[in-house]
Amino acid sequence: MSKPPPPEELLPLTPPVFHILLALAEEERHGYGIMQDVAGQTNDALQLGPGTLYGCLKRMLAAGMVEESDVRPDPALDDERRRYYRMTALGHRVVRAEAQRLAGAVSAAKARRLFDRPRAGVTRGA
Amino acid sequence: MPQSILMRWFCRLYLVMLYAYPREFRLQFGGEMQQLFRDRCRQMTRTPGRWHWLRFAMQSAADWVSTMFQERMAAVRDITVQDCANKTFQVVRTVWSAGRKTQPRGFVSEWAMTLIVFLFATTTLVQAYVVPTGSMEGTVMIGDHMLVDRVTYSNPGSWGSHLLPYRDVQRGDIVCFHYPEDIRQIYVKRVIGIPGDRIHMENKQVVRNGRHLRESYTQHIDPRLDPYRDNFPQAPGWGTTALGREMLANNVRDGELIVPPGRLFVMGDNRENSEDSRYWGLVPRDYVVGTPVLIYWSYDAPTADLTNWSLDHVVDVMAHFFTKTRWNRTLMVPRTQQAEVVQ
Repeated sequence: MSKPPPPEELLPLTPPVFHILLALAEEERHGYGIMQDVAGQTNDALQLGPGTLYGCLKRMLAAGMVEESDVRPDPALDDERRRYYRMTALGHRVVRAEAQRLAGAVSAAKARRLFDRPRAGVTRGA
Repeated sequence: MPQSILMRWFCRLYLVMLYAYPREFRLQFGGEMQQLFRDRCRQMTRTPGRWHWLRFAMQSAADWVSTMFQERMAAVRDITVQDCANKTFQVVRTVWSAGRKTQPRGFVSEWAMTLIVFLFATTTLVQAYVVPTGSMEGTVMIGDHMLVDRVTYSNPGSWGSHLLPYRDVQRGDIVCFHYPEDIRQIYVKRVIGIPGDRIHMENKQVVRNGRHLRESYTQHIDPRLDPYRDNFPQAPGWGTTALGREMLANNVRDGELIVPPGRLFVMGDNRENSEDSRYWGLVPRDYVVGTPVLIYWSYDAPTADLTNWSLDHVVDVMAHFFTKTRWNRTLMVPRTQQAEVVQ
């Protein structure tokens, strides 16, 4: 096994990848579960289509950020086609690093008073 | 229950759309993607309102177009190791992602992409074609509008054959080809003999290379025996054309037809009502256009209307679109079927 790359090399993450990792941070989920959780996180702003979701998962599997899980939480509701995904230790470090990066960006935005009520005339020209 | 019908339709359509993804990707994730799509549809049925279906359809189409391109490009990158190919890919990817990072691709550009793909696809990869006669009845009906795959049988040379899903014509394949007696017409039949095969018929049963075939796909509508039609190539006579007689003169030996190199022997599945290789001879391999991949619309109309669109036919379609469309055949995938060898 080759050494996994340091998490910083994988940053910045695209929004779908970041939100998928967030969804997997809590528990193992299958594709539909991830999609629903991402929609919940973003107030339905980000609806992952099947192509986007599995395209991201493919690359995340290749990078070692997630892995397939054998656990079947609820056999009664289960379909053999559903596969569950779990975050790896690398994935955890990557999503933490990305969250810190974003937190840094947010505090920079706060320092520039972007969260205040916008003053008239500031956004246009000046 | 109209929504569940709509849902079934969407899922069927999506199954077909999955074929646009590279094979590897489809094998790894296709089942899950289909499942996810179905779950999503179920979720939609619980949401009240009508317009969200349209929004959902457009979202799905946009998702499909963009990720299909991404995965196709990723697949190409994986295959070609040459530097030049890599560079081409990088240029394409830079251009591709440049437009994406500066601004989110909007509604218009997504649909412009779809239109470009559609135009490219309908001119070089597939061709629309309507079946005018009943010679393949049972498998392909009069009025089936279908897409013909032009890629599979077109030999792209040694380089392209690794990239494209190329294979040669096989026995049992349904093929569309230029009718040898009048190449302006396109016919659709099933391949019975490929070069080197010895073919004859015994009481409606095909004997290929000395083995009797049991063909599950055929249809017999006439119990009577016709000495030529059902015991080909014995007792040649009624109905053969010049090319048919040429075949009988040159390629029959010991009561069997031997298919020469570069030719195909084809027959309709509706054996008693099919003008096929028995009557007008062999099909040159170069005349083959492709194989039907999808029946996208099946409409119950007479032969004459399907070949020449008249005003009457347009009115007929507008008035009876819902009643005369064969919904159970629409979006069907015709498949190659192999005959069983009996002995």
